[in-house]
Parts: sequence; structure tokens; C-alpha cells
Amino acid sequence: MSEPTFEDAQRELDAIVERLERGDANIDELTKLWERGEELYRLCVTKLDTVRGRIEELARTTD
Amino acid sequence: MKVEATEIDGRKVYSVRAFSSGVASWLARLPTVWVEGEVTELRRQDRWASVFFTLKDPENGACLSAQMQRGRFDALDLGLVEGERVHVFGRPELYEQRGELRLKVLTIERYGLGAHLAALERLKQKLAAEGLFDSARKRPLPRFPRLIGLVTGNDAAAKRDVLTQIAQRFPPANVLVAETYVQGPRAPVAIVTAIGDLCRRSVDVIVLARGGGSLEDLQPFSDERVVRAVAGCAVPVVSAVGHEQDTPLCDLAADIRASTPTAAARLVVPDAAELRRSLERSRDGLHRGAARAVERHAQRLAATHERLRRAPLLALERRRGRLDTAHARLAALGPRATLERGYAIVRRGDDVVRAPQQVSRGERIDVLVADGGFEATVE
Repeated sequence: MSEPTFEDAQRELDAIVERLERGDANIDELTKLWERGEELYRLCVTKLDTVRGRIEELARTTD
Repeated sequence: MKVEATEIDGRKVYSVRAFSSGVASWLARLPTVWVEGEVTELRRQDRWASVFFTLKDPENGACLSAQMQRGRFDALDLGLVEGERVHVFGRPELYEQRGELRLKVLTIERYGLGAHLAALERLKQKLAAEGLFDSARKRPLPRFPRLIGLVTGNDAAAKRDVLTQIAQRFPPANVLVAETYVQGPRAPVAIVTAIGDLCRRSVDVIVLARGGGSLEDLQPFSDERVVRAVAGCAVPVVSAVGHEQDTPLCDLAADIRASTPTAAARLVVPDAAELRRSLERSRDGLHRGAARAVERHAQRLAATHERLRRAPLLALERRRGRLDTAHARLAALGPRATLERGYAIVRRGDDVVRAPQQVSRGERIDVLVADGGFEATVE
């Protein structure tokens, strides 16, 4: 699976939290959900803290 | 007034002051006249003694500086806006300090709407009728743009404001800048081309940014080609053109209008600090949610265990209860109570004796009373 975008990761994390808070996940699922949640959290934070955007100039087309 | 020249090496030489003063006095002999033009670059401040503006010829763009006493200007109370066509009554004079010609204005009369404004209004009506400015056409901006297109002039301010704010607010943002003409006759085509180029480079939102300027400076952003390009753009467009009070038509066609380039930047990228806080909340939620789910499972398990522990005793008690009931009913139906009152049961073998004919003399019978039994012989 390719790495999700920040947006997708955050959305999935929120869905997992909601799911856990509803409390209907069974015990086996629970561990997986929690681990996945932590993974998504780290992914988002890393993206936010370490990724620096590029600023690029488009070649001037009218002259 | 006499202008004195100095004789130097056989040559008549005037000082700058003398020259200007000479020209000024010559200009002062010209008559007072009416001049028609469009008002632009109107500058008025309470602490100034004069109001300044430029009269522009709508045909060829020729400009003439004009000055008017602020008291006279205020008394007219015309509420002039940029681009309005006026008739101005005044005479030429030389601003000697700078050697510049200007019109000293005595009065101003409004002469209909500036042709420019009228044309703009007609275009606005036409495009509005086509639905180009309908709110139903407005698209939401992407929450996390992958690539932001920025159309801007090479004047540093607007571009710098947008880029600085984006970098501060959301460092991971990628921006593709299309520098282009933002004023003058070449600007409309250049802007349209820039928008198209950015779309081809797969930006997912476009910011049009230009600092403030006079009405003519901003004119390209009301140009029909530009307005149509904005309305028809494949991705949402944020318009940040001019100052708050300016409303170039591209502002109406854009998906959202920002009052300044900085505000535009705030619209296109999320706030990383806020996102960070939201992530921390999600993580807390994750921990709390997981803990709560485990707790709920544990409670359910404990309750089940308790029921399991109590089950045998409960079953036993239930059986005991049933036994007691059966016994009580047995007692009620049995003869015991009758025997207690002094009656006896007489049996011959297994048969209960109910009539004298059932027995014969000398036979042995069993007699049952409340507290036991005995045998007897029939007489």
C-alpha cells in the first residue's frame, strides 16, 4: 500500500478514534486499530514537521 | 516680473529659479479654461491644504496633474471616485519647486459616468446575466492543496506576502509561481496564459495576487478575457487583487475573494499549528478510546464471570424451591391432617376398607392413625 496523503491519514485516524470511542471493536481488532492509529499519527506529525514545500517559478511564457 | 540674467563669458545665463519664475509668470497670462478628463490618483488628506489628482485623457491616456484648494474641493462635496469623467475649470501654473506644469483648479463639475466605468458596468451586467458570478458556481477550496498556483506580478510585495504567509502557516505547501504582467495592455493575455499554464501543471488551486493600484492599474483584472478565464478555470481560484474597496470583476468570478494577498494565503493552506493541535487531540482520543474499549471489555468479562460463579448455587436454590412447593402440595393433598383429627385408615392388605362387607370375621387388618399403625382382628 502506498503511503496515504496527510489528508487521508488524518481522516483515517479520526475514524479510528471514533470507532474506539464507540467501544464496539472486539479485542483483536482493538490492538490493530490502536497500532494503526499510532502509525497514522506519527505519519501526520512527521509530514507536518519535516516536509518542506517547494517554491518553483514557472518559466515566463509571455514576452 | 523682470527676469534677470547674468552675463558669463558673453553668454546670458538664467538661474533655475529665475527661469522657472519667468515661465511661471508667462503661464499666468494664459486664460482660465474648462478641461475634460477622467479623475485618477485622487489624493486628499485632512492635514493637507490642497487636494491633488490627475486628469487623464480617455482617448490616449495623456495625463495632467491638477491641484485644488482642499476647502473648495470639500465644499463641492462631489464624492468623486476614480475614473469618473469631469469638467475642470482652472488655469495652468508651474510648480516652480519641481518645474512641473499643473492645472490650478477652481471648480469641478461631474460629467456623467466615466466612459470607462460605464463600460465596466455594462460588462459586469452582461457577465452576471450569463451567470458567471453565481454563488452556485463557487467551488470549495481543497483542504490540503498538493500544488498551489500563484499568478502575480514581479512587484515584490504581493508575491512576497503570499509566499511568506504560506510558508509560515503551512510549511509543507508546494507553490508554483507564474510571474506575469499585472498591468498595462499586455496583462490580460498574459494573465489568461498564466492561468492556463498553471492548470496544465496540475495545480489544485490558483491564487491571483496583485497589490493595490489605481483603477486603470487594476483594469486587466476586469478584462473580459481574464474574468472568463477565472470563471472557467479547471480548479478553484482565490482572487486577491487591489485593496478592500476595489472590486475588479475577477473578484466576482473567483470562487472566493480575499481582501489582501496575506488573507488569500490563509485561505489556501490550513494552519499547521492548528493541525498539530488537532492531531494531538486525535492521539489523546486514540489512547482514551482504546483504554475505554479495554475497560468496557473487562467489565463485561467480569460481569460474565460473576454470573458464572453464582450459577450452580442459583440452580440449586431453584430446585430446592421446587421441591418445597411439591412437598407442600403433597402434604395438603395427603391424609395426614385428617388422621391428626382422630380418624383412622383401615386397610386389608393393599386395599382401603370402605365397607363392612369387605372383611370377614377373624381376618387381620391394618389400622393407620396419625402417629403410626397397628394390626387388629375383625370380630
